[in-house]
Amino acid sequence: MRVNPYPMPDLVAALNQAEQADEQVTLELSSGKSVNEPSDDPTAAALLVQNNDETTFNASYLQTLSSINGQLSDADSTLSSIQTALQQAISLGVQGANGTLSASDEAAIINQLQGIQSQVIGLANSSYEGKYLFGGTVTSTPPYTANASDPSGVTYHGNTDVNQVSVGNGYQIQVNQTGSQLFSAQGNGVFLALNQLIQAMQSNTGVEAAVTSLSSAANYLSAQSVFYGNAMDQVQSQTTYLNTAKLQLAQQQNTLGGVDLATAANELAQDQTDTQAAVEAISKFSQMGSLFDYLSSS
Amino acid sequence: MSGLFGALNIALSSLATSQEALETSSNNVANANTPGYSRQVPDLEAGAPVLYGSLALGTGVVLDKIESLRDPILEIQLNQQTQQNSSLNTQLTDLQQIQTGFSSSTTGIGADITNFFSSLQQLSPDPTNLSLRQSVLTAAGNLAGDFNTAATNLETQRGDLDQSVTQDVSQINTLTSQIANLNLQISELQNTGGGTNELVDQQTNLVRQLSTLVDVQAIPSGNGGVTLATSNGTTLVAGVQSFALSTEAGSDGTQHVFSGSQDITNTLTGGSLAGTIQIRDQEIPGVLNQLDQLASGLANAVNAANAKGYDLNGKAGGNIFAAPPAGVTGAAANMQVAITDPSLIAASADGTQGSNGNVANLLAAGTSPVVNGATPIDAYSNLVFQIGNATSNTSADADASGQILQQLQDQRNSVSGVSLNEEAANMVQYQTAYQAASRVVTTISNLLLDAVNLGEASTED
Repeated sequence: MRVNPYPMPDLVAALNQAEQADEQVTLELSSGKSVNEPSDDPTAAALLVQNNDETTFNASYLQTLSSINGQLSDADSTLSSIQTALQQAISLGVQGANGTLSASDEAAIINQLQGIQSQVIGLANSSYEGKYLFGGTVTSTPPYTANASDPSGVTYHGNTDVNQVSVGNGYQIQVNQTGSQLFSAQGNGVFLALNQLIQAMQSNTGVEAAVTSLSSAANYLSAQSVFYGNAMDQVQSQTTYLNTAKLQLAQQQNTLGGVDLATAANELAQDQTDTQAAVEAISKFSQMGSLFDYLSSS
Repeated sequence: MSGLFGALNIALSSLATSQEALETSSNNVANANTPGYSRQVPDLEAGAPVLYGSLALGTGVVLDKIESLRDPILEIQLNQQTQQNSSLNTQLTDLQQIQTGFSSSTTGIGADITNFFSSLQQLSPDPTNLSLRQSVLTAAGNLAGDFNTAATNLETQRGDLDQSVTQDVSQINTLTSQIANLNLQISELQNTGGGTNELVDQQTNLVRQLSTLVDVQAIPSGNGGVTLATSNGTTLVAGVQSFALSTEAGSDGTQHVFSGSQDITNTLTGGSLAGTIQIRDQEIPGVLNQLDQLASGLANAVNAANAKGYDLNGKAGGNIFAAPPAGVTGAAANMQVAITDPSLIAASADGTQGSNGNVANLLAAGTSPVVNGATPIDAYSNLVFQIGNATSNTSADADASGQILQQLQDQRNSVSGVSLNEEAANMVQYQTAYQAASRVVTTISNLLLDAVNLGEASTED
């Protein structure tokens, strides 16, 4: 069989291929990515889009968690302060229930109780980063104003709506309790109980009963306040979970689209050897000449 | 003729044929690198013998013809593979251009979708924050802008491909007209008994060039000519006449290819013209359509979610994105943010400023199957996969086709390629024969001189 007298095109094609492989590996090494175009690995390219989405949301959720934690923690410590004030009011009430007090002592107690009432109103109007904590979703105006004509001594300007904040895929945490829930709940309101205690001291009747009511209201408030501790626990758990997920996502991104430097460096060395070999083969062929070089004129 | 003059003529025939054979070899060597050249071999035959009674005396050597060595089956295969290879490479280049718009997972439309919904997520704990709201509008603007750019780039590419179609058709017409002309020349030359080797080589070369453009089948038409038609039967060359193709804008705004009054755009199967048409009419519209569906589905879902809530002024939410066209086409090219006032984002569920209840609905637009049963980010990642897969497959096919083409070319070269070594050896052979024949002439010439001087007194004594 006659041999193909033109080996050069095949050799050049081999050289081209070696050079192309060389170029590809060099690109991967310099970009650090094994997937520079979707055609490099279509499945990985699609998954990298998803990975970027999850990674971005992961960071966003972590930021949100940190933000609401501040809010929850603030509300929680405010409620603690309110409890302290209520306990003070209760011990004052116990003193006042003692029938042996002088008129001026009684007046002093009433004064202190009124001070505590103002203090509690002030605390119930706490705000965090410009938003009132206990007005439900009415966050731009203070939820409580003093109202002498109301049996509870206050008017509530907030609403009963709560906010759920998304902190994970399909996962939401409630971030507030409303004032109506905490302080003015039917039959358990601390404002009502506190005002009734003051009125009882002023009229000097039913002080013991008022103290019992206030105690019971304070306990109710305490039970409701547990919400904030629980919410902060949820925030903590989710933060831990998301931090782990963050590491996994970073690993996944690397697996899908990152370059293994050791492997790539090896490949580069191999490609360069192939290129060299092809170049040498071509140069040997071009030196070979033909029979014409050996025929002298006879 | 017999006798010495007979012998002389025989020697002369040898000189002549050796010379012609040398010329043939020299021609081969000169054309060693001419593309499409088929090596020529002199077909030497012994001259018809003359009968003298029972004796048959030979009459020397005759150069019957100079034959071009070709394998017609290989030529057909080469044409077919050239058509496929050319189509694949054209498609590959175009697909690679398309995919540059979808290359990064951290920038581009996919990342924009992520950033838009992530900026909404930031609003969840702090819905009244104007600066966070502005970020949402900025992210929306980036998303719309990138949709616009992607659609525009695809349309521009489509326009470029349109031009390619026109250019390819023009080249096809030039080649078919040249081939028809060659058919005429070859048949005329054949009639006068001339050698058509060079013209047939030219014809082969032209058909090969034509194969890079369009799927053409060449059927020999008897007197050395060739009839050309596309695989679906459109005649391009018949006899000495060529049938030019034309281009005309169709109702879809693209250039259609016509043979006479027949629209053959969808009947072409090979060559760069078919490859270009495939990308222009199938791939690009396909990607555009998916982008339109994505833009439209996303915009509609976000707008519907916004309408369920209340903005910072207590009013029911309006459109965040300009309403996409009802038929979806053009949704990506025309996507726009409809509002500039960040307070119009409807985050509230109850009309109070502090409520974030509707943010969940807005976020749900990103996690619900609002684009043909897929979430926006899934729809996008799907698109990336499809484009990458198409490109990767075409690349593999083009590589394989290129290798087959190279192998066929090698085979053709082993049949028709000029081997310098072979030609050198042949030349030595013909040179020796020439030298021997000239010796014969010298010898006979001396003998003739002797014969002429017969009976003359020799001057040697």
